[in-house]
Amino acid sequence: MNLSACMKKNVVAIKINATIREAAAIIVKKHIGLLPIVDKDDKPVGVIGLGDLLKLELPAFVDFVADVDFVHDFGAVENTRPSAKTLKETVKSLMRPIITVEESCGLLRAYALMLQQNLHDMPVVSGDGKLVGIASRVDIGVAILSTWAKVE
Amino acid sequence: MNAATVLSSLIFIVSLALIFSEKINRTIVAFAGAFLMMAVGEALHFYNMESAIEAIDFETLGLLMGMMIIVAMLEPTGFFEYLAVLAARASKGNPVRLFILLGSVTTVLSMFLDNVTTVVLIAPVTVLISEILGVSPLPFLISEALLSNTGGVATLVGDPPNVLIGSAAGFSFNDFLIYSLPIVVITWLGALILLRYLFRKELSKRPRNAKAVMKLNPAQILNEPEKARKILIVLGAAILLFFVHHLLGIEPAFVALGAAAVALLWVQPDIHETLIKVEWRVLVFFGALFIMVGGLEKAGVLESVVGLVRDASNISPIWFGVGLIWVVAILSAVVDNIPITIALIPIIHGLGEAGMDIGPLWWALAFGAGFGGNGTIIGSTANIIVVTLSEKTRSPITTALWIKRGLPVMLATCTIASILYALLFRWL
Repeated sequence: MNLSACMKKNVVAIKINATIREAAAIIVKKHIGLLPIVDKDDKPVGVIGLGDLLKLELPAFVDFVADVDFVHDFGAVENTRPSAKTLKETVKSLMRPIITVEESCGLLRAYALMLQQNLHDMPVVSGDGKLVGIASRVDIGVAILSTWAKVE
Repeated sequence: MNAATVLSSLIFIVSLALIFSEKINRTIVAFAGAFLMMAVGEALHFYNMESAIEAIDFETLGLLMGMMIIVAMLEPTGFFEYLAVLAARASKGNPVRLFILLGSVTTVLSMFLDNVTTVVLIAPVTVLISEILGVSPLPFLISEALLSNTGGVATLVGDPPNVLIGSAAGFSFNDFLIYSLPIVVITWLGALILLRYLFRKELSKRPRNAKAVMKLNPAQILNEPEKARKILIVLGAAILLFFVHHLLGIEPAFVALGAAAVALLWVQPDIHETLIKVEWRVLVFFGALFIMVGGLEKAGVLESVVGLVRDASNISPIWFGVGLIWVVAILSAVVDNIPITIALIPIIHGLGEAGMDIGPLWWALAFGAGFGGNGTIIGSTANIIVVTLSEKTRSPITTALWIKRGLPVMLATCTIASILYALLFRWL
């Protein structure tokens, strides 16, 4: 079995000149974790994830206090929202480089890549580099585990 | 002037310039400079390996190393963060009270422990406290650095220049408490009042959520209370011994190294983890500077400088001392205060041999080296730490802001120290 058998094929992408507010709205509407970014020719150029957007709200101390368990109330930061100005910026400012795999890739190789790159979702491309799907760790993992039933 | 004086001065000046430029790490510069000084000395027969090793002040290195080992053991227990959380809770979320409490905690800790470690551990918790309160962390971060720099001048172990001066002048721990502490307390209060005024706008803002600090659980951050207790007992005993070390005829380094040995034996921490936290690069930097300055001394450079200074010192001793405070302060604001102090020690000794009363000059050197570091971001390591940390938050500290907040504190502390120095000159 290869990736094309288990990936989600109805992949949602966003144009590079879209705003952060628009990206957040799509993520909310589709309930997804990763949004590929495409240029005007629909070529994938980057990604923006749930975590990239949430970083705008996450307090700085989370990065340098190793264990925040003793903070029983996040107080003011619990209600801090990004400014309207930030939300109006294009997704380009938060975009990360895209890491893709080809749809012909084997499942274990795809899973290992995601594990090593610390990815939860990975865009899948066709042989000519076109975005054809997106696969999560769960998609790939479940596909691998489903073969165990046939083990004798 | 001969080849030895020219070459050794050149090595020292180029090294200082490279340290200042920050192009190459200061410890690497000093290490290479020290070797070059030895090599040139060997070739021109004014310095060699043996005299270089003699030039190293092991009293200073031992005291620093002993205290560093104790701090390295105390660090992972969460004790520093615990105190910051207690301060936050005691402030009940009032910004002015929080500013005074955090400033005081940092100062008191850095009077007895390394102020770099203190700031490294307290500053992140400060950002946390400010963020959950919904106020800017800048007044607290900047004040912590400035007040700990200022307060550290009060004690023999408070900052590295004092360790150097104490060892060179033979001052006891109590000498610092008698001569330096009262002047520093007044200067520190002056700095606190000035900072309160400079940050009046930020500190008058009502926190958006003052109650959140009351839900910080200090017990949860003190993750190794038993270990902390043992180390604090040893540290307390060491401080008590510091008070009487001169009566017992032992050196402060002896006390610090002994305390480190007892703490290590009692707690038995992972030795690799502990020793990795000791700032070896600082110790190597000191050692290398001692070797470089030793070369300058042997080449006769310092003798000529002493001659020049003596000729210029026909002015009254009070003005000479005040002048020294300001020259050292300005130098310490732009270059590291450690090479300045190490280079000035033999010059002051030289002035003493030439018949000058150098007792008060040691204090002038301590005040200048300590308070001067407040003037610029690069003036002290504590400043660099809070600025680097602030750059990872939403309100970074800029050079322009430091000029508006740190520089006035440097000018005020040096002015107050100069006035007190002049008034108390007779007793210094």
